[in-house]
Amino acid sequence: MIGAIRLFAIAFVVLTVVYIYLSIRQRMRTRRALRDEFDEGGIEGDRETYVEEGLKDYEDSIRRKLILGVYIVPLVLVLVMIYLTNFM
Amino acid sequence: MRYVKWTLISLMALFAFAFLHYNLPQRDVVRIADTYEKRVDPGENSWFWSQPDSGNADAINRDVFFIQTIQTNNRVMVYRNEDTGWGWPPYFKFDTSNLQTEAADLKSTKDAPQWVVVKHYGWRNEFLSIYPNAVSVRAVDDPDVQLIPWLNIVILLILALIILRIYRMIQRFRERRIDPLLEDAGEAWDKVEDRADAVGEHATGLWGRLRVWLNTWRAK
Repeated sequence: MIGAIRLFAIAFVVLTVVYIYLSIRQRMRTRRALRDEFDEGGIEGDRETYVEEGLKDYEDSIRRKLILGVYIVPLVLVLVMIYLTNFM
Repeated sequence: MRYVKWTLISLMALFAFAFLHYNLPQRDVVRIADTYEKRVDPGENSWFWSQPDSGNADAINRDVFFIQTIQTNNRVMVYRNEDTGWGWPPYFKFDTSNLQTEAADLKSTKDAPQWVVVKHYGWRNEFLSIYPNAVSVRAVDDPDVQLIPWLNIVILLILALIILRIYRMIQRFRERRIDPLLEDAGEAWDKVEDRADAVGEHATGLWGRLRVWLNTWRAK
């Protein structure tokens, strides 16, 4: 079981780095897209408020939650591998 | 310098190829002649042996299962049968004893061969005493069965995509960050050259005028 704990600990650290990288990148992209959208014109109000509100919507969006797949996909892969190798 | 660069690149490519060739699954069609176990004390070849069965204590030596097989071309192949457990390569194989039982059950004679597809990874090398590790066995009727390595195709495709992506990222980084720097340096150098040219022109101008002036003193 020590092997399992070691594997999961290392995987958790590595995947957390990937997770943080992806969430920062995704947020920056969203912000840039919102700014471009505003700059195209036709939107009332303040530019910064528009961007902040858009980012608030992004916080609750499915797009942000999909980044959790960084943890879920490898975990599912490992479980599938264990099943296929040992119990088929 | 160019030879050094290409030697390094080909060494890295060779190493990557060897790594993939060792770790990715391969399948052989064989006939199982017998199975046995023997004590091994991995020494300088310990890289090519797995760890003790999952859950057991770390011992220096241990008993390892082996599967003796004959290939369709009548050549011999011996597989070891060890847990990979939670370690590398990530096959997550814990069913070593079950696999040994299946293999023993599929034993057959030369006269009435029962062909078996053995999925395995690793290399057989007589000089190092290393054996490929069998991962699964499956009985087949036809020894000429067509096996398409779908898993390897998918893994290699994903790997190629990742490498391409990293290559693109490096290229973009170069375009955005390093090329402008080089351009700046180039522009600065151009300015220096322009100034040197201007100075040079001025000098010839001055020298030319001097010569013209000197010529005016020459006797005609």
